[in-house]
Amino acid sequence: MASLDVVTYRTPLSRIWDAFVVIFLALYLIWTLLPIFIMFMSSFKDLLAAFQLPPVGDFTKIGIFFDFVPTTKHYYNLFFNIGFSTYFFNSVSAALGSALVSVVLGSMAAYALSRVEFKGKADLFFWIISTRMAPVVAVLVPLYAIFRSFDLVGTRTGLILAYTTFNLPFAIWILKGFFDNVPYAIEEASMVDGSTRFQAFRTILPLVAPGIGAFLVLCVLFAWNDFLFANIIGSGGAKTLPVATRELVQPQNIQWGSIMAAGVVTTLPMMFLGLLIRKYLVTGLTMGAVRE
Amino acid sequence: MVTAVTEVKAKSPTLVSKLDDVDLKARTLDFTPSVMNSVQKKYFYLWLILPAVVVLAAISLYPFFWLIWMSLNDVGINTSSAFVGLKNFTRLLGDDKFWNGWQILLTYSALCLVFEIIIGVFIAVVINGTRFENILVTIFLMPMMMAPAIAGLIWYFLFNSTFGWYHWFLHSIGILGDTSIIGSTDTALFGLVIVDIWQWTPLITLITLAGMKRVPRDQLEANMVDGANAFSNFIQITLPNIYPFLLIGIMLRFMDNFRFIDVILALTGGGPADSTNILPVYLFEVSFRYFKLGRGAAIALTLLVVTIILGKILVRVFEGPASKRIDVGN
Repeated sequence: MASLDVVTYRTPLSRIWDAFVVIFLALYLIWTLLPIFIMFMSSFKDLLAAFQLPPVGDFTKIGIFFDFVPTTKHYYNLFFNIGFSTYFFNSVSAALGSALVSVVLGSMAAYALSRVEFKGKADLFFWIISTRMAPVVAVLVPLYAIFRSFDLVGTRTGLILAYTTFNLPFAIWILKGFFDNVPYAIEEASMVDGSTRFQAFRTILPLVAPGIGAFLVLCVLFAWNDFLFANIIGSGGAKTLPVATRELVQPQNIQWGSIMAAGVVTTLPMMFLGLLIRKYLVTGLTMGAVRE
Repeated sequence: MVTAVTEVKAKSPTLVSKLDDVDLKARTLDFTPSVMNSVQKKYFYLWLILPAVVVLAAISLYPFFWLIWMSLNDVGINTSSAFVGLKNFTRLLGDDKFWNGWQILLTYSALCLVFEIIIGVFIAVVINGTRFENILVTIFLMPMMMAPAIAGLIWYFLFNSTFGWYHWFLHSIGILGDTSIIGSTDTALFGLVIVDIWQWTPLITLITLAGMKRVPRDQLEANMVDGANAFSNFIQITLPNIYPFLLIGIMLRFMDNFRFIDVILALTGGGPADSTNILPVYLFEVSFRYFKLGRGAAIALTLLVVTIILGKILVRVFEGPASKRIDVGN
């Protein structure tokens, strides 16, 4: 299965190996998709149907999983009884708000950092990246104390600021790598033509636009999937989807149907966005360290 | 000179306007020097950096000093506080849960990484260059897009001992008894490792694949000619080449285990009997369940110091060969 065009002879051993690889990949495929599939199916199941299991050890009755009458009542419940439309809006505005702030400020700073050398640049850079790598809970402790004194707890503004703590360093760090790949000669040519430095900056923006767009999407994804900040900083007035979903878990009554539906509502848009920026995903998720 | 310009104009019509432009500027002596006054230049870049630095200082540097101040005080649920010096830190020395938290954090990270590296690299090696590479990778990376908090809840459902399909499966093949995997102190950590493997193995696969595209083909072929088989080829050529990439993957996953505790909060909340109470979870518990923010700050500082040390190593790894763009046609 190696990527070589060299002629290889088929020995019995290599046949066994190939069979093993195919079986392994098939199992891994099932393993990857099954939780998502079960979530999806259970969101359309009545609670009793979702709880049905075959007797222990009886593998012939697995078909019981598909034995149900589909219902959309959990989705109806989410949006019309629990107020998920508000939480959806909170999620969208907090994620998009912080992504926009981060990418706009980030691309300006990244461009400058890519074009100028100064003393202490490496230190500034390390400070920026270590902000991004700090454990969320450790950041949360002082941020909560500060936001409490500014009455920012439970507001969308507070949440946007909180998300910016990890999105802005990410944007600066990754976009710097992007600007580094744009030759300075382009700006120089534009300045020879009489444009100012700022206009020159604008002339190269279209070149990095796809990258900036992709990392904007990635910032949205990071913020959307956050739970800790939203749980503490957003608690009360700015509940986001993961927090609202978590709150469906109550000691006496876990509303599994609604949880599964909420999971689908939270996950599907992000899977779509992930596919959209598939090309930039490796670079983004490794903070620019690995390029495809 | 003039003839040369007309010649070029004739050859390439697209250049015409540009050259006319230069012509005009040269004639009217209206020529902006390309090298601006260097002070002016510095100021231009300073203004571009400033907004981001100011915002970052407000939301990261300022909180950091707050954190240090908080760690020296007894801060509770209300805004009152009392200076206690280093008491928050000295208390940690005798705090079993604190040391336990570090130990479990390291065990948990190590377990996750071992499995993720083995499975992730294996998958990358067998699908690299095949027809199905693209579609398989696209499917494999779906779990990474899921919010960890949601993933935790889904797995909580799957692991449930009365209606969870995964529990039913593990029970049926005789690995587990009636108790759920997250319900027993012996197995709870493995339950968490399973979820981490499910969600993040694809990242290792993705990184390894990116690395494998850079393995020089001629080296592989030369080695084959020397009589090496696919396995020794992997050990001798591929592995040394993808090693820097793997290092990045390892560091990233390691840091993420410090950063995120969403799955653990959803699945076990640190229990049963603190068997999954990794340090960040303990920190969360102290700070936001008991609202001992001063003590929490002391724990957070220890966590931050370790993260900064790791970060220093990480940045060095980042600037290694994996980040270089190699423009060989592959």
